[in-house]
Amino acid sequence: MTATGLSRAIAAAIDARMRLRQRSPAESAAALAAAAARWVVDPDLERGLVESSGLHPSMLREVLPLVAGMLDRDAMLALVEREGTDVGEPAEWTAWVLASNVPALAVPAIALSCLAGSAAVVKSGHCDAVSAAAFQRALAAVDPALAATVVPVAWPHDAALDDVLLDAPLAVLTGHDETVAALAARATGRVLGHGTRYGALLLDTSAPIDYAAAARDIALYEQRGCLSPHACWVVGDAAAVAAGLADALLLLAERLPPAPATVEERAAVRGFLDDAAWAGAGVHAGAWGAVVRESGPHFRPTCGARTIRVLPLRDSAALPDLLPEHTIECLGTNVPPPAGLRARGVARVCPVGRMQQPPLSWPRGQRPALGSLLRQTRAAVMGIER
Amino acid sequence: MSLAAALEAAIVAWADGGAFADFDGWALRAFTYQFERVPAYRAYCERRGVTPATVVSWTDVPAVPTAAFRHADLCSGTAEAVFRTSGTTGGADARGRHPIAHLSLYRASALAGFRHFVVPDDARLACLFMLPPPARRPDSSLVQMCAWVGETMGTEVEWFVGENGLDLPRLRGRLETFAANGAPVLLAGPTAGFVRLFDDGFACRLGPGSRVMDTGGAKGMSRPLSRLGFLRACWTHLGIAGYFCVNEYGMTELCSQRYESVLADRLAGRSLDARRLVAPPWLRTRVLDPDTLEAVAPGATGLLCHHDLANLGSVSVVLSEDLGHATDGDGIAVEGRVSGAPPRGCGQLLAAIVP
Repeated sequence: MTATGLSRAIAAAIDARMRLRQRSPAESAAALAAAAARWVVDPDLERGLVESSGLHPSMLREVLPLVAGMLDRDAMLALVEREGTDVGEPAEWTAWVLASNVPALAVPAIALSCLAGSAAVVKSGHCDAVSAAAFQRALAAVDPALAATVVPVAWPHDAALDDVLLDAPLAVLTGHDETVAALAARATGRVLGHGTRYGALLLDTSAPIDYAAAARDIALYEQRGCLSPHACWVVGDAAAVAAGLADALLLLAERLPPAPATVEERAAVRGFLDDAAWAGAGVHAGAWGAVVRESGPHFRPTCGARTIRVLPLRDSAALPDLLPEHTIECLGTNVPPPAGLRARGVARVCPVGRMQQPPLSWPRGQRPALGSLLRQTRAAVMGIER
Repeated sequence: MSLAAALEAAIVAWADGGAFADFDGWALRAFTYQFERVPAYRAYCERRGVTPATVVSWTDVPAVPTAAFRHADLCSGTAEAVFRTSGTTGGADARGRHPIAHLSLYRASALAGFRHFVVPDDARLACLFMLPPPARRPDSSLVQMCAWVGETMGTEVEWFVGENGLDLPRLRGRLETFAANGAPVLLAGPTAGFVRLFDDGFACRLGPGSRVMDTGGAKGMSRPLSRLGFLRACWTHLGIAGYFCVNEYGMTELCSQRYESVLADRLAGRSLDARRLVAPPWLRTRVLDPDTLEAVAPGATGLLCHHDLANLGSVSVVLSEDLGHATDGDGIAVEGRVSGAPPRGCGQLLAAIVP
């Protein structure tokens, strides 16, 4: 693709969007939901993602339905009702620059743009060359006019193409903090940046704990995304929770084998475990991952690859003070969340087992999912799922 | 004669042109010495069922990870000095601590390696260091090594990192003076410091025999710069040819260093040999699989595990958090640092000081 070719594709998508000015959100939501149902059974999708993402086929079979499930028709209509009315004109087109860490980020991106009434140019990361194009194909099968507003693109390194993309009236950028900052500096329009963030668990042993569900929260996407927990604060018997998580991760690995790790990833795990062992932490480790029980309550991310730190907490009310500011995106918990999480930057709170199953309305980075595409938002939003 | 004194004598003899023989014998003696004197290391070895009685080769000696230096006291006696890694996050606990029980052995090792690889022509050089002076950073092993180099091989010594970071105007002034009078200069410091100098637009032609020693790689650099780009910039900005530019690889946890062999090779008539990081004969490095800690196939990437006999006063075998591969028999190439490992190193030393 050339810069001229990309500009032409964007212009065509804008024209297609203009032709849909009278389109009702209900019609778009229905088409998106139908497309999601087709997309998730596309045999080329899983094949392509196994190759490019490195995730095990069983993992993809587990997570792709969760992505498709985000495009529930009624939930989309409720989102439009809540965030998408009486807000003026959407951006003519939105550029989405997606991170490579987890596959299929393109699907909610496309859906949100379609609901916002904006053409979408979606640049996928190098580990997912297929899901955006596959979703556009699925959408074209059910609603060609809406599919024409979507331009899936991918290129490894091309400054000229990046310049065209970053000239969007609205650019949504996801990735490492440094990447987002570098791209944001080059963008000419409004920017919504989503940098490095993590998930965390809060477990209270006085309430029932579903260890299998917690293990799933840790293991899905091989802990590569911002919803994946890296720390588990425990009110009560932390040693028992560490053992419970280790057992559950071991069992889960039989059903969802870990992705093959690169030498860099294996070296990172080695360093993580060495540090834990010499620090005197309790370590459960194996080919299934690792659970490290520390004596202090302070958050530090792990190296990923299904590794988690179990940290003691005297009282769940003490948790907010332990959260580094704007670092924890999502908290999964088995008890009512303490007050003060929103002020620390937490964007989403959900029951254990649902961390990797965000709704389309997930206010990523505390911004309204749809509303932030339509207007500047100032208030920090936190979604609580029950 | 104590083991430390005997080892120091062997190193000094090598520096004066002798041979350094029997690495295996030294390694087994050093292991016994450390097993007996470093309780944390002894406990670690015993948990693995390894004792001096079970070790038959230097490759059998258990390695401690660099994490051990962050959490345990690994000193065989009274520390004559303590050097700390220069990590800037995670507080004091995240910084490794290397107690040195035999400072004169460390000095002998550091100077012998430096002389062999950076000053093989026994030149006397004005030493300009893009580093804080020892009084400002007494716990930096790199600063200490440079101080020893200045004392023994320099005609004069100046330090160019102060309270406000790298003092570029003063450095430029001194380089211009040396360029004008033609006296040979050793300009040394973190690679990141050189990049700052280059980005400042400075250019001169330093006198014949001037040379560069950089260390730290990409750590703390304001922009990416390939090795080839670095060498080109040394020529463009300083008038120093590539064969006078020597990269150093060292760690606070080691008393010996590796250097690019380019200058030593040139003086030995091996100019066509590939650039590689080569060690003096009392430092060996194995490349290990991160899972099994077995040696990887030749040329494959793994964790670098260093066996430094000069570490007699702590632990000789250190599993680093650096990935690399073996090259051309005696050399290694460093590919980078393990993701998620605490930031540290010489580039960080500069970054910590430069706002």
